[in-house]
Amino acid sequence: MSDTATSGRAAVAVRPAGVRRGRRGRPVDWKAVGAFTLLTAPMVLGLGLFKYVAIGWSFLLSFSDARGTVDLGSWIGLDNYTFLLKDEAFRSSMTGIILFTIFIVPVTFGMSLGLAMLLNGLRRGRAFFRTSFLIPAAVSYVVAALIWKMSLFNGLPSGVANTIGGLFGWDVQSWIASTDPPLYWIVIITVRLWLQVGLYMILFLAGLQAIPAHLYEAASLDGASRWEQFRHITLPMLRNTSVAILMLILIAAFQAFDEFYNVFITATGNSTAPVRPPLVFLYDTALKGQDYGVGSAGAFLLTLLIILVTLLQGRLVGFGRKD
Amino acid sequence: MSTNLTSRRAFLGGSLLFVGGVALAACGKDDAVKAGAKITLEQWYHAYGEAGTQQAVMRYAEEYTKANPDVAIKVNWIAGDYSAKLHSTLLTPQAPDLFEIGDFQYVDVKNGLLAPLDDIVKGQEAEYSKASLDSATADGKLYGLKMMDDAMVLYYRRSVLEKAGIAAPQTFAELAAAAKTLTSREQKGLFVGSDGIGNAAYLLLWSNGADLLDPEGKKVVFNSPEAIAAIAGLKQLHDDKSLLLDFTTDWYDPGAFIQGAAAMQWCGLWAMPAIKKALGDDFGVVAWPKFGDTGQAVSRIGGWFAAVNAKGKHVEEAKKYIEWLWIKQTDLQKDWCVSYGFHVPSRKSVAAQTTEFTSGPAKDAADILANTSKAYPNLWNTAMDSAFAQAVLKIAKSGGDAKSLFDEAAAKCQAELDKQLA
Repeated sequence: MSDTATSGRAAVAVRPAGVRRGRRGRPVDWKAVGAFTLLTAPMVLGLGLFKYVAIGWSFLLSFSDARGTVDLGSWIGLDNYTFLLKDEAFRSSMTGIILFTIFIVPVTFGMSLGLAMLLNGLRRGRAFFRTSFLIPAAVSYVVAALIWKMSLFNGLPSGVANTIGGLFGWDVQSWIASTDPPLYWIVIITVRLWLQVGLYMILFLAGLQAIPAHLYEAASLDGASRWEQFRHITLPMLRNTSVAILMLILIAAFQAFDEFYNVFITATGNSTAPVRPPLVFLYDTALKGQDYGVGSAGAFLLTLLIILVTLLQGRLVGFGRKD
Repeated sequence: MSTNLTSRRAFLGGSLLFVGGVALAACGKDDAVKAGAKITLEQWYHAYGEAGTQQAVMRYAEEYTKANPDVAIKVNWIAGDYSAKLHSTLLTPQAPDLFEIGDFQYVDVKNGLLAPLDDIVKGQEAEYSKASLDSATADGKLYGLKMMDDAMVLYYRRSVLEKAGIAAPQTFAELAAAAKTLTSREQKGLFVGSDGIGNAAYLLLWSNGADLLDPEGKKVVFNSPEAIAAIAGLKQLHDDKSLLLDFTTDWYDPGAFIQGAAAMQWCGLWAMPAIKKALGDDFGVVAWPKFGDTGQAVSRIGGWFAAVNAKGKHVEEAKKYIEWLWIKQTDLQKDWCVSYGFHVPSRKSVAAQTTEFTSGPAKDAADILANTSKAYPNLWNTAMDSAFAQAVLKIAKSGGDAKSLFDEAAAKCQAELDKQLA
């Protein structure tokens, strides 16, 4: 868009052929408009057809009784929504994901930033560590979840976690199946951090490298301690990066699916999972149980929650606010 | 000059003729495969794990086309979440004419997806187990033809039990005691599933005379006193720490039993060849033992049904094919059941001819299947299973109150059942 505007402004000076003045005196470059339309049309059409039509259809489905069918017609008003809001399983799934988010967002954020600062301070081997930490981001969630489940945290004395525990004389633990204490959180949270921290670390590292070194030099000449430098230079300079990363982590947390699904899955599905985040719940409802009406209603409730939390976060940390 | 031109033209012409000829020949060859078939039936199978099964079903299809040149069958082998893929495809024009169903769901019948098969099964009912007929019957009509029966039984390691002086368990109390005695750091007594639940909750209910739904399928009854008493058994197994948990594979795989991670395991007949290969004769099978004196020994029947898409273009032809294959071709049924994996032929007359089931643990398993097997009702859907399983999880693992949790789950399931029947 801005390219069009710039070339339009440039056109004022030279006025090449085919450029006329628009209604408000701004010239309209029809060639550029044509090129813009041509280039964006496939994307817009595809998005419209495969996303917006589907979203609209799903919205209509959420008001109808659609069991084993995606045909509209048997309207039941808000029944699907009231059913879900009364359903203990859905409610605990939603409160569960909120608690999970409250925990995982600061932890992921802190670890990524901490690692990025450590790496940024390294004199040697920075590329090696950067690559090592980033590699997990390229691993499939499914594969990682299965490695965690079957190799690291299996319930056998020979499992990696139990072998390490054995060195300290601990009993053999069932890391996923035991609910009291809920050891499965260790499995879920470690695999998530392993997968995600590397990517956010790279983003932070880019932000850190963009901070001019002379700010730190000036600060240390003035006698600012490391903490004061971090508090008054690093953090403010990283604000835009931090806000964007925070939002990414937040949305990723609400959309948690793969590691929960694959860690808890059994021969009969996810029905015995001690925690089912909303997406797993909706997958079970819509695709396994073929209740597309309730599934769609749940998807919109989750969307609403994500929008609310993102707006709230924007209020608190000021996403998109001009400096 | 002119000769040059002619020769170039001749070359071009010759080339064109050659290309055209090849194209025609290719078309001809393609037609030869279908051999003038007027109709092509699309058939879906889930991806069986056993080697050779895909080739087998393609061979059956070819044999049918040989006998009936008008009909060709295209076999599609579907990997991944079969049921979800099937059900989403059944909503589209690409829906297959023929497909398999593992767990029968009433909603499919209610939505008119399945064609009734009563006319081809008529007079053959006695050939099939009651549990199989019941699960494929809805509103008085039969919608699925059983392709094979899977028995699920309790395997025990003969030598391990003998060493501890324990007989194969005949009651739940014996099972729980045996599981506790046989548990050590390296070996657990019993494996029912990685989550410590698996099928055990259903088996416990059935073994104490309780059930999920009443016989008419109108009322949810798993909050009965018998059910509440039986589910305490699962809590006991967890409290005793005699269950193997978080094994790398789930109960349907014999790995835990073969490796000696568990002395007893709930598993399927399909695993018997692998167990036999690894352990020789050092194993036996029993049904899930009766819970108390008033209960009975039980087992689960599984397996796949052949079904026909009621909205397909070739319903009659599709029905003829499954009648030919799963009713008339007894040799192919035998081949299907025992040449690749290990399943009991679903037709009693065919099972009786299959020598694999005349002796040893295989015979025991087939007898257990014939005498004690139960299946989930087709009204039992994912939402109900999930409500029930969550209650079981809280009772068995977190010490929740069985009565209130089962009452709550039963109320939820009843609402779901009423919606299905509405």
